[in-house]
Amino acid sequence: MSPPTGETPAGKEPAGKEPADDIEYADPGLARERTELAWTRTAIGFAALGAAVLRYRPVAGLLVLVLSAVVWRLGRLPGTAGAGAVRDRRLLLITVTTVGVSVVALVLSFLGPGIVPLR
Amino acid sequence: MTDQPGGRDPATTSTDDDGTEPDARYTFANERTFLAWSRTSLALVVGGLAIAQLLPPFPGIPWGRHVIGTPLILLGCAVSVISYLEWKASQRALRHGQPLPRSRLPQILAIAIMVIGLIAAALALLSAVGVP
Repeated sequence: MSPPTGETPAGKEPAGKEPADDIEYADPGLARERTELAWTRTAIGFAALGAAVLRYRPVAGLLVLVLSAVVWRLGRLPGTAGAGAVRDRRLLLITVTTVGVSVVALVLSFLGPGIVPLR
Repeated sequence: MTDQPGGRDPATTSTDDDGTEPDARYTFANERTFLAWSRTSLALVVGGLAIAQLLPPFPGIPWGRHVIGTPLILLGCAVSVISYLEWKASQRALRHGQPLPRSRLPQILAIAIMVIGLIAAALALLSAVGVP
């Protein structure tokens, strides 16, 4: 954030007492916007993964691509601040999806075409 | 803090654990941290899959690609799960005004990538020397 200008050293302020020149203090919506952008990047990551899987397993790849659209939409739902349980379920969806995709990737890496079978 | 974007919904704040709703900016920051780790785990899975599928096999070591790719995919899986657990722990600490728990993910990631890198180097050397 802004460099310390006064007598208070940086990082010594108690939480929630930012200086008034902190732009976050004037506009907390910036945090929400950054978070939306982070959701977008995550959705792009899922889309890239979907495209990679699509080449060998079209159905699974399409599923991941659809999920990337879902992830993008999730980051834009209203009421992201506050609703703890809703947020919990959204983030859990990402973890569960990543684990599921990892399993698919493991299967693909052993069964996919062009692989020399293990002997 | 009284100015919270999005406001509070009393019906949904007291669901999974007690404590008070923290400043929305901290909640957002915690969520962004989780999302960043999620992207890291996705990249690990994509990288592992690409190594297993696209890398030409090591001469003389046909299983070599799997030795590198499979741990990467498993690491991505683990990072995803651990980041969710740490997000939950951080959110709980925020709700109770306690200091945030220290993240173990950087250490895990650094050690795992070092090990996988050493394995990759060993495989590259072995295939160059020629396995008997």
